[in-house]
Amino acid sequence: MKQNNTRPHQASFRDPSGYMFYDGDVLRRAINPIYFKQYNALKDSGFIKTLIKNKLLIPHTQTTVSDKQIVITPEPIAFITNPYEWSFEQYKHAALHTLKVHKYALSKGFILKDASAYNVTFHKGSPVFIDTLSFDFYEKDTPWRAYKQFITHFFGPLVLASYHGTEIFKMLQTHIDGIPVKLIASLLPGKSKLSSTIYTNIHLLAKMERTHSEDYKAETKIAKLSLKAQNNIIDNLFDFIKKLSIKEETEWGNYYDKTNYNDAAFQGKKTLIEDWVTALNPQRLIDIGGNDGTFARTVVTKVPHVIVTDIDSNAVGYNYKQIQQNKETNMLAFVCDVLQPAPGIGLNNLERNSLTERLQIYSPDVTMALALIHHITLSGNVPFDRSAQFFAAFSKHLILEFPTREDSWVSSLLVRKREFMNHFDFYNQEAFETGYKQYFDIQKKETVTGTKRVLYLLKNKV
Amino acid sequence: MNFLYFDPGLGAMIVQAVVAAAAGVLLFSKGVMYKIKGFLGILKEDDDTYDSIDIDEKEDKDETK
Repeated sequence: MKQNNTRPHQASFRDPSGYMFYDGDVLRRAINPIYFKQYNALKDSGFIKTLIKNKLLIPHTQTTVSDKQIVITPEPIAFITNPYEWSFEQYKHAALHTLKVHKYALSKGFILKDASAYNVTFHKGSPVFIDTLSFDFYEKDTPWRAYKQFITHFFGPLVLASYHGTEIFKMLQTHIDGIPVKLIASLLPGKSKLSSTIYTNIHLLAKMERTHSEDYKAETKIAKLSLKAQNNIIDNLFDFIKKLSIKEETEWGNYYDKTNYNDAAFQGKKTLIEDWVTALNPQRLIDIGGNDGTFARTVVTKVPHVIVTDIDSNAVGYNYKQIQQNKETNMLAFVCDVLQPAPGIGLNNLERNSLTERLQIYSPDVTMALALIHHITLSGNVPFDRSAQFFAAFSKHLILEFPTREDSWVSSLLVRKREFMNHFDFYNQEAFETGYKQYFDIQKKETVTGTKRVLYLLKNKV
Repeated sequence: MNFLYFDPGLGAMIVQAVVAAAAGVLLFSKGVMYKIKGFLGILKEDDDTYDSIDIDEKEDKDETK
């Protein structure tokens, strides 16, 4: 394998078993000799094949084999989402997925040696395990050494979210290796101790970690744990997580029930979007502020890959359920706040790259921002040229719906400004066009029938 | 020998024996309840989209034949 024109992937340096690298534009995985034994065993036993067949592990092809290195090329993933961008349902599904992979590994004499939430992402409508080197041999009677990682990356955040809401997941942005057990325990209400699963897996774990934190010489003997006992832990965590739910009422939960459209207007908007998108023949489309994917779904059969993001975790969760039920393999949903997109985190701020960077790499042919601009402008106080700059950073074509001042939702937002209402006199079509013309050419402009909203088709000047 | 590249946490390794014991009790009682409910015919079906923890390997065996 030529080693020139390759660069390492910024998130792949912890595990000595191998690393990810870009070979030109292709992302490949190198396996070091230290992991050859494991890799060959996993491959020859048919373990990897079964995982791939069951859509649990990302498929790969073996590219080159030498004494020094084996290179495999995994199936490309259109867009990587991170744990702090998942809805509750997605987070839950990723956790269950991880347990499922570990349980299967155990049944075949292997283990999942790490349980990082970053080893799972969403691909073709479902969670998939992406770290092919996360497996090792099971050693008789040893406890699961990724157990704590599973608690700090998955179980803890999920239990916390079930009490405090999905905002908890944003803590993963500041804790790249999971929320510390002590912190999880301290954030949980006292009544959580009544659950034997939460008590043992979190409160008792926090206590034990504290007791043994001064074992500097590694003198304490590690207890044995039978395979049956380990399976009990996994089965119980699986059952518990599967039943976890959140009680979160949001503004957007039943958006389309509360909205100010009538059926004709809804249809009119759908038809316009369908026509415009079809004419552009995009390969990739992103709907920002796309709620539960209602409008993205009007074009989902025409576009090979569609992303829908929304600030509301419930809407994203609802969308995810629909993706699962309809088996929409080309749609991806995730949570994103335009006013505060996910930053680059980890070593050099590069380990998990920022949302803007990922969007630039994804490079959608069409970006949709339907009925979003009034929230950015009025709730976020963002001037038009600044929101235009945000969209221009990654969009080729932008379909933007502009609710005018006469729109009921806009009036409501304006009224809520009370005595500052006059500061928002700039919110009008003329000022909008002036701001957006700095980055875009206006190609089309049409009023949505029966509404006070105007749909724009904008083309990036670059 | 497995090679460790991160600290699994000593407390976390030790606590698993207790976690497993508690899980065992819970799973056992659930199993008993399941049987009772099944006997009385009051079992509810799960209606979520999550799969079960077990992998269906039947497909594989068929193909190798």
